[in-house]
Amino acid sequence: MHERYRDRVDFQTVYIREAHPLDEWQMDSNVKDDVCYRQPKTMQDRVSIANDFVKRFKYGVPLAVDAMDDPVEKVYAGWPERFYIIDARGRIVYKGEPGPFGFHPEEVEAWLARYAQQPVAQSRGRAVTQQ
Amino acid sequence: MLKKILLVAGGLVVLAATVIVVKIGPSNIIGMIRYDQRREGDLKVGDIAPAGMLISLDGRAQVPLLKSNTGRPQILVFGSFT
Repeated sequence: MHERYRDRVDFQTVYIREAHPLDEWQMDSNVKDDVCYRQPKTMQDRVSIANDFVKRFKYGVPLAVDAMDDPVEKVYAGWPERFYIIDARGRIVYKGEPGPFGFHPEEVEAWLARYAQQPVAQSRGRAVTQQ
Repeated sequence: MLKKILLVAGGLVVLAATVIVVKIGPSNIIGMIRYDQRREGDLKVGDIAPAGMLISLDGRAQVPLLKSNTGRPQILVFGSFT
């Protein structure tokens, strides 16, 4: 998705507190996939795990880390995973449900596909209220 | 008659709950009760997206959550490795 639309849309991954750390609610899949981390207690730890993630998946989408008191996550209710689409005027035009069951990249992709069909002059600076 | 119906209904509920617990797993049920922090949040479609600051991957710089004055939409994706 990022590769396809990065020339017209900005992406920002927000790395937040762990969903299934081994000292809280670890899932069997964490063990199976060797993704076993404690809930970080310091910014350094959180940044370190975020870097592990980027390296492991060769993650090319821009990614930055929420501070330890989770200021951005608290405002956006992003835990454990969530999508938002912000239009060119800064308004929220899509707010996904929280994951895992509400996390639907295909809905975001559908929005992007519709957006990409618009001529560039039309799409810039205009709110696109498609959902 | 009503008592029988209630008993059967109650039994079915207990059976369904047992199947759910076995299927999901007791540790996941406990995890959900203790650690599930999913929230709807206050933001709604149509709201102005609040600004914020993040920390760069090298841990040294602040990065704005939202790019400004680009004339482009932005996708935010929240998540973690685990």
